[in-house]
Amino acid sequence: MRAPAGYVWADSPLHRMPAAPKLCGLVACVALVVLASTPVELGVVAAGVAALVAASRVGWRAAGRAAWGMRWFLALVLALNALLFSEVDPLLALGPLHLTVAGLAQGGRVVARTLLVVVLGSLLTATTRPQELVDGVRALLSPLARVGAPVDAAALAVGVTVQFVPTLLRESHQLMRAQALRCGAVASRGIMRRAVSYVRLLVPIFVSAMRRADELSVAMEARGYRLSPPRGAARAGEKETRP
Amino acid sequence: MSQVKRVVIAAVCAALGIVLPMAFHSIPNAGATWLPMHIPVMISGLVAGPAAGAATGVLAPVLSSVLTGMPAAPILPAMTCELLVYGLVSGLLARVVRTGRESVDLYVSLVGAMLAGRVANGLLQALVFSAGSYSLPVWLTASFVTGITGIVLQLAVVVPIVVSLERAGLVPPRYPDAA
Repeated sequence: MRAPAGYVWADSPLHRMPAAPKLCGLVACVALVVLASTPVELGVVAAGVAALVAASRVGWRAAGRAAWGMRWFLALVLALNALLFSEVDPLLALGPLHLTVAGLAQGGRVVARTLLVVVLGSLLTATTRPQELVDGVRALLSPLARVGAPVDAAALAVGVTVQFVPTLLRESHQLMRAQALRCGAVASRGIMRRAVSYVRLLVPIFVSAMRRADELSVAMEARGYRLSPPRGAARAGEKETRP
Repeated sequence: MSQVKRVVIAAVCAALGIVLPMAFHSIPNAGATWLPMHIPVMISGLVAGPAAGAATGVLAPVLSSVLTGMPAAPILPAMTCELLVYGLVSGLLARVVRTGRESVDLYVSLVGAMLAGRVANGLLQALVFSAGSYSLPVWLTASFVTGITGIVLQLAVVVPIVVSLERAGLVPPRYPDAA
């Protein structure tokens, strides 16, 4: 398991940009990546993403860390597409498997799109602090507050989720190491035994995560944190204080 | 349970919905067969209610797609709708079903949510996302054959995890008098 890029200290236009426009830009860039289908279009989008990485000054290693962690999965995606996508004019045929140019092209497209989206996501988290991300989500959703949407709750949920991912990854690693000490290394086993060993970790991982959730909610409430009610509830006279 | 705790539980389950698939992705095609993202979504609905379950069902796939690239953007809308239904229905059924036996309540809610999510996914695929190119055999294969390992896993671990959380005092028990 490899964590998505955390915040990287640097002074760049992307670091200085508020989170709300960055989130909108991310959605627009992902849409461009999905719409790009020809090699030229994908090349232009890839050049744009490379320019963003250079402008962000987070470094190629930080920007590509999450993508590198997915290399075997992406290799499998490429292989499955190359062998199963088409049966027309096969370069190589082996039973139901047909290696075709169309399959290779399709696999390349899927892998390139996935890589570009992963790098864009890594850029967002590398140039935006979690609190800025929460503020950005709150700013983007604020128009919905007029129709009673729980904007504060949504922003809080996004912030807690993003902050908990590295924490839970760390705890999962610790639990896996503890399991390896007791039962031997997981990675050296076959696929099925590896999957079963992950399943055995589910209960301790959930209990550990929920304990953290319990501690966090108690700490927030002890400091007077209350979620502001939706407009309808507020009109009905419920008294709640904002943080 | 306070509203703050419900939101935090939904968010932590969403974070687990990002972390668990990252572990399972080291196994080929594990996402479609082991369905690791479904587990925290259903647990969120069962312990924190329908709104929290639905929120986890939206947050987990969307943020996972942004942070790790999985699920891929083309399948994200359908998967988000399916997970939203899992979280919403598991929470609604957990609230409504009261047989007096905790494990029966939880299994009825879990199985009801698993069926509802698959039916909703099939309807959305047939009417919106793959209109004209989606058939009943494809739905049956995608919903019940490819993911059979994940279905067995969910039936085996979700209820024990919820019971463990209640016994650890981390979520309120369904039947406090029986404790």
